[in-house]
Amino acid sequence: MNPEIVPTHRKESLGEDGMLFVRTEGIVDTMVKIPLLVASMIIAAAMMPIQPSFSSPRTLDLIIYPDGLTHISTEIDVDPFVTDYELDLFGSTIDNFVAVGENGFLLTADVVGNFALIETFGSSVISVEYDIHDLVSKQGRVWTFSLDAPSDFTLLLPKNSAIVGMANLPINMEIIDDKNQLTLSNGQAEINYLFSTNSIIPGPVDPVNPASAPDYLPYALIAGAVSAAAIGTAAVIRSKRKIVKPIQDKQSTQTIQKTETVDAETIFKLNPDIREDDKEIVKFISDNGGQALESELRKKFLQPRTTMWRAVKRLERNEIIEIEKKDLQNLVKLRKNVEKEE
Amino acid sequence: MKTLALFTIFVLIFGTASLANDAYAQNDPNILLRIAEQADKQISKQLERSYGDSIPSDIRSLFLQGHAAVESLEKSLPDDVEQARNDFLTAMKSFKQISKMISEPAEKAAASKLTSAVDRDLSSELDRLEKHVENLKTISEKQNTKITFEEIDYLIGEAQNQIKDGTATPETINELKHLVDSIQKEISKSSSHSASDRIKQFVEEQLEIIDRKLTKASDAGADVTQIDNARDKISEIRSLIEESNIGNAKIVFNELNKLVKNIERSVR
Repeated sequence: MNPEIVPTHRKESLGEDGMLFVRTEGIVDTMVKIPLLVASMIIAAAMMPIQPSFSSPRTLDLIIYPDGLTHISTEIDVDPFVTDYELDLFGSTIDNFVAVGENGFLLTADVVGNFALIETFGSSVISVEYDIHDLVSKQGRVWTFSLDAPSDFTLLLPKNSAIVGMANLPINMEIIDDKNQLTLSNGQAEINYLFSTNSIIPGPVDPVNPASAPDYLPYALIAGAVSAAAIGTAAVIRSKRKIVKPIQDKQSTQTIQKTETVDAETIFKLNPDIREDDKEIVKFISDNGGQALESELRKKFLQPRTTMWRAVKRLERNEIIEIEKKDLQNLVKLRKNVEKEE
Repeated sequence: MKTLALFTIFVLIFGTASLANDAYAQNDPNILLRIAEQADKQISKQLERSYGDSIPSDIRSLFLQGHAAVESLEKSLPDDVEQARNDFLTAMKSFKQISKMISEPAEKAAASKLTSAVDRDLSSELDRLEKHVENLKTISEKQNTKITFEEIDYLIGEAQNQIKDGTATPETINELKHLVDSIQKEISKSSSHSASDRIKQFVEEQLEIIDRKLTKASDAGADVTQIDNARDKISEIRSLIEESNIGNAKIVFNELNKLVKNIERSVR
């Protein structure tokens, strides 16, 4: 008989006290431990948050503007070992596209149709923002947002909008700056909403009973009339105050003009390098009593806003004029100390 | 023992699955009620505005169905979340149908078409531009470009005033857009130097990794011609990067990656 074919463990297990112990160990190894181990791994995997894989958005936030355009902000994990990343966009009508690498640097990107080719070069996370025209459509008074989202996302609806249809269950809803922000799960989403420039969102009230609604109408009309009267009275008082104020301002301004108007020729002598077109502006301001609104200058010289703004800034840099804010407009004044410098 | 172990496993797995289902549910089921109530009230207003007391019977029936679902939803909460979800979907489906029925079908138009037409929403356009400019400012600061945003800030202020006064025109926004585009181009230009340094560093790191892979493959008996071909491509990429010819370097780099994958596959 060949002794080699006798299993060693069997030999050992033949000991007086060891037999039961050896058998139990074998059962645990073959029948319990492995399935338990596998099950534990499955459970652990199910319990753990799913790790975002490459090309899946870490975050996806959408803002719908009142005109139906949607702003998209997303952070995406990308493979740091490839040079480019092809991003599927949610449509083809894109504005204001910006892709930034994890170090905050602008990445070169080409938007072609429904995708953007971004040069990632070693970035492992990229942030992308853009505005898109394709996600919201309008039928009559009803606006419809639809998206097949690759991940859970947040959606901020415009102010004064009211949701009137949803095909999905929202994960969450918050109110941010009087706007509804929904958190929705990945997949196809469709939301119908009404939007008005006037406030139409109902407050947190009891469910509507259409039959009882007209009962409040007379009270609402009386309240509306009283409010309108109060607002009207306030408006009349305010407008009267407004009429008085400019007269006072004008009087004081005229006093300054008379005493401190600077001669254009003096300015030209002090600034021989002044450009011809700038001279015209200075001359106009001087003739206008030493000051003029920037909008008046634009009208006078028929210049675009940027051109006139540059001219005014140039004159300010040369210490010929100074700019003051007046009623949200730029008041351009010839400097008072020009003569003193002479 | 085996049966017990399997039973435990099943209990654990299905128990976890039900936990996961609950995790999907709304943070607060009252959200469903809030949305449905809002929709209910809004649809009621719309019906009153559109039809007064003479609501067509099909629309009335849909509204009553939706309204009943909202009432049921309120009763279902907080105990029967599953029923509440069903009620929510039923209510919202009814309200959606009503809102489509009371809308004028002829007015169907994409938002993109709306914006290009006369009724452009300049306020929204300005909001978006402001957001975009803020992004560009952050990038510009990060890249230390020293690009000034004085002019664009001024123009945004002017545009805001015009919108408040009701004197804004599409030209104002177009002018702003033009300026924002030119600023973005300037940032791109100024970032190209740092980008090219970044690209050089990235490519050099990758080439070193590839070089090590090739040495390993060569030791494992990979085809010498393919190895030589790959090494030639590495040299070519290095010289292209030196010449700042990034576009061609990328093309050769992608070819090299494919070649290296083939080599690795051949020695497995």
